[in-house]
Formats: sequence, structure tokens, C-alpha cells
Amino acid sequence: MENDILLEIKNLRKSFDSLEVIKDFSLQVREGEVVSIIGPSGSGKSTILRCATLLEKMDGGSLEYVGHKLAWDNDGRMEYADKKELKKCHEYFGLVFQNFNLFPHYTVMQNITDAPVRVCKIPKEKAVQKAEELLMKLGLEDKADYYPHQLSGGQQQRVSIARALALEPRVLFFDEPTSALDPELTGEVLKVIKQLAEAHMTMIIVTHEMQFAREVSNRIVFMEHGVIQAMGTPKELFEGEETNERLKEFVGKFAV
Amino acid sequence: MIDSTMLAQLGSGMIRSVEIFFLTLLFSLPLGMLVALGRMSRFKILSAVIKVYIAIMRGTPLMLQLIVVYFAPYYVFGLNISSGFRFTAVIIAFSINYAAYFAEIFRAGIQSIPVGQTEAAKILGYSHAQTFMKIILPQVIKRVIPPVTNETITLVKDTSLSFVLSVTEMFTIAKQIGAKTASITPLMVAGLFYFIFNYVVAFGMDYFEKKMSYFR
Repeated sequence: MENDILLEIKNLRKSFDSLEVIKDFSLQVREGEVVSIIGPSGSGKSTILRCATLLEKMDGGSLEYVGHKLAWDNDGRMEYADKKELKKCHEYFGLVFQNFNLFPHYTVMQNITDAPVRVCKIPKEKAVQKAEELLMKLGLEDKADYYPHQLSGGQQQRVSIARALALEPRVLFFDEPTSALDPELTGEVLKVIKQLAEAHMTMIIVTHEMQFAREVSNRIVFMEHGVIQAMGTPKELFEGEETNERLKEFVGKFAV
Repeated sequence: MIDSTMLAQLGSGMIRSVEIFFLTLLFSLPLGMLVALGRMSRFKILSAVIKVYIAIMRGTPLMLQLIVVYFAPYYVFGLNISSGFRFTAVIIAFSINYAAYFAEIFRAGIQSIPVGQTEAAKILGYSHAQTFMKIILPQVIKRVIPPVTNETITLVKDTSLSFVLSVTEMFTIAKQIGAKTASITPLMVAGLFYFIFNYVVAFGMDYFEKKMSYFR
């Protein structure tokens, strides 16, 4: 039996002024799947995440989480679900940013527990306990009382992953999670994401780490010029009889 | 030269100056934040009105504003002005004038916070109000301490302008004694008082800045 569909994007379109960044993008993600989106810069990868997490308004298409419609195209005009429904949407997804965006005036512990306590009204002791478990899992148990600026980039990114996980999202998005990190620090973040994949966390990852995408994903989407150029399992895309010349060329640049 | 009566008189004037100072801060800081938010509002009309208000407050002398505020009830509403209104007029004029300056400082502070902070808060489900109060404002406060200190120090010295409405703050008294005794000493002593006052203000702000240095 197939798992539930957690995310369904249909015919997403998005322009910035006259520049059409995403021409047509559809994606269905089932529970437990890890999907990587790769492609050259400017291909619209991050914009997809930003539309899916409602940071950007879509210009067309539809967006659905766990059967709840959040946005849809009504004869060329976008309509969004009502405020109550949109407020609930943080239960569906989390987002890990390229540059962490931790709250600098909060300790690691406050960064992780503030939203559960303030937004979800979870009792503080429970939130703290949960945060401690997460920090343990991510190897940060001794950093709870640190402020973000006292941590390395890799540690900060792991904290931001913990912050996202604390809200128990059904789908977790990563927007180039290692692009702001020194090469020697990317490993520790990728390891954490790999752990999550092994625990069957549903994830959609925009990344430039080809080798990592290949190892961790069930499916890889190759984007260019605002459309999906190729999509398939890592095996199909990297080893199969690849027909897409651009993908070959793109992947070839990363081949070691 | 410097006798105890003079110091006592200047001291009582100093209390007036301190009153003007604290009351002005009490009203102008929150008002400045509201003005800053209005200035950044998506409602074009509101932000345009606020822009005009800031332009007037910054573009005309504070001394003139004091006079206008004092006489406004008479000329606009035909009300009799009691002399008790002088002090109130001083506080109103100072507050709306300083609010305009603070507003621009706060606006710069708010706009200097990376948009990623707001986006992270939004993803985590914070409301607009929660995002502003809990995430953005603490960071803004830290960043605006140095320019706010500047304005605050200017305010200490500006309190002397209230002499135009015959509010007997320190500078007015110093001038009166100086005129009576044909001496410059009272003015010099007043100057020293302002200096000490500002030293204390700067010291307090410095302490506050250090307290806020636990994060970056």
C-alpha cells in the first residue's frame, strides 16, 4: 500500500515582475519520501520552497497539504485558504533556511522551545524535555544555554533543524542547508539530514550537494529555466540511460 | 560668587529640567515607535501623513513649535489659556518633536533587521504582533541604543528652550540670576549642571548597552 500524499503542488507558476521564475511545476510527495531538487542557480528551486511554505504568493497552480487545500487557482486568480486554516499550516511544514535565521537574542533552548510554547501552547516543561531530546539526537546537548553567535555555522544549522523539528512538522523543507557553511562543517549537517531520512522524515531538499542528494533521496528533481527537466530515482538520473543533455552536463560538472 | 541661595535656585530649576526630560522620554519613545510603524505602513495615506508630520517636526525650530503648541488652544479653539498650561505645552511640544526624531531612528532599526527573522517567525507560526514584540523589537532596541543616546543627550540641553514659555527650568533661572547680579557665573554653573546630567545619562545608556551585549 502506498503512503499518504503529504504535499501536492500542481502547475505552480511564479513571476517576479516580468521575469517568470517558475513556469510550470508539479510535485507529489508521499509520507516518508525524501525529494531533492537540484539545478543551476536561478532555476527557481528556492522559489518553489518559498511558495510551498507561503513566504511567497503563487501566481498560479494549487498547493495542498495532507488533503487540505491551502491555495488554488480560480480562473487565473489565486485564492488562499482562510486565516484559520493558514494559521494551522505550521503544523504541516517546517523550513530550514540557508542562513539559519536563528533568533540571536534567544539561547539555543529558547530558540527551540519558544514557538511550541508561545504558538502551540505546549506546557513549558514538555517543550523543554522535547528540546533536550532533540539536542541529544543532534549532538548539541551541551549547547542548550549558548547564544547563536557562540556557535559554529554547522552547530547553528543543527539548532535551526531542531527548532523546526520541535513543532513536529509532517514535511520538512531545506533551502540549501549547507550553502552558507565552510566545507568542513557541511558534513555534520548532512549527517543529521541523513539520520532524519533514515527515520523516514518526509523532506524536500534544495541542494547543491550532488553526492549527498544521490545518497539520501528517493527522488531527484532536476530543474532549469523554471520547469522540471528530469525527475526520477537517483539511479535513473545518475546511472540510467539519461536522455537529458543538460542534466548530463550539469551533473558532469560535479563529477569527481 | 557662588553662594548657597544661587545653588538652591538653580537646583530647583534643575528639578524642572529633569521633569521635562523624563516626561518627554516617557511620551516620545512609545509615540516614536507608533510613528515609525505608521511611516512604514502599507496604507499610503497614513504613511504620507506621517511623512509630512516628520518633515514639519524636523524642519521647523523647536522653539517655534513650543509657541505654537502653547497658543493653539486659543487660536484654534478659542479657549482661554491658563498659565498652568505652560508646562503641559512644553511636554506636548517636546514629546511630539522628539517622537519624530525617534521614529526615524526606530524605522532605521526595524529595517536593519534581516527579513529572514520575520520569515523564520512566520514559518514557526508566530502572529504579526508576536513577531514584532518578541523577535524584532528586542533586536531593534539593541541596535538603536547609540543613536537614541545621541537624541537623549540633545534633549537634556534642549530643555532650556522651554524658557520661551516662561517655564522656570534651570537655564531660565541662571539667566535671571546672571542679569540681576551682572555675572556670568550662574550660567557657567548651569552649564556644569547640564554636563553632569548628560554624563549620568551617557553612563546609564552605556550600562544599558553593555547589558544588551549578551547577543549579537
